[in-house]
Amino acid sequence: MYGWIWRHLPGNAWVRALISLVLILAVVYVLFQYVFPWAEPLLPFNDVTVDNQ
Amino acid sequence: MRVIVRTVSELCITLGTLIVLFVVYVLFWTGVQAEGAMNDQIDRLHRQWSTGTVRQRDAPGERTVSVTGPGPYREGEPFAIMYIPRLGFTWNKPVLEGTGRGELAKGLGHYRGTARLGRKGNFAVAGHRRTYGDPFKDFPRLRPGDAVVLTDGTTWFTYRVDKGPYKTVPTDVEVIDPVPRKSGYTGPGRYLTLTTCDPEWGHSHRLIVWAHLDSTQPVEAGEPKALRR
Repeated sequence: MYGWIWRHLPGNAWVRALISLVLILAVVYVLFQYVFPWAEPLLPFNDVTVDNQ
Repeated sequence: MRVIVRTVSELCITLGTLIVLFVVYVLFWTGVQAEGAMNDQIDRLHRQWSTGTVRQRDAPGERTVSVTGPGPYREGEPFAIMYIPRLGFTWNKPVLEGTGRGELAKGLGHYRGTARLGRKGNFAVAGHRRTYGDPFKDFPRLRPGDAVVLTDGTTWFTYRVDKGPYKTVPTDVEVIDPVPRKSGYTGPGRYLTLTTCDPEWGHSHRLIVWAHLDSTQPVEAGEPKALRR
């Protein structure tokens, strides 16, 4: 999977490494900004009220 | 065959990384964000109060408990700051109207429909035990006699804890009644209820603390005694 991505990135090894880094950062950003805020309420830490008001 | 093994192991590593990142998000990042959000809310309140959008009390002669405070609480808006010396001398959190997820991420939440600050009835507030800045992390350390101080920009309200922490189940809505059940209060009065979750990382129970209004003083009179070191 990762080998496949690496082989399909353009440029030499340095350019590929740079693009990979940007891709990783983009994935982490999307996770922290959109995916985790959606998933976090599914955990029990939000239930602090009586009758779930 | 080798491709399959490689792909499966890569997926496992990815999943592991994902879980680690999620733990970092829940334990650390929500706290960082909540810290910023709570400070924003407190700054907003201070700005509002300093520009005088809060109506001053009209008759300076009347120093009774009856309070002419700010206007109606607006959903999702901060209206007071809470101080609990037992949780730390620097512990102060904004109180917002409503107990939705959005409000609780920015501070403590005032239950809709419960009494206003300092008024007859029960002023009920909920807060996170863990995550989002851990505001009520040390909730079980509260003891009878502890001060819970609030200000709405015109008045300081000092409540004294009477009972708690009392453990109950999440469906026990009577704990935020005007005269809370199990609190030991027998008649109507000016009460305060704090709720959070229990156990620390779970949601099977709730911890409750009850307090009564002990004293009030206008902000011009300076901080109440409970806040002085």
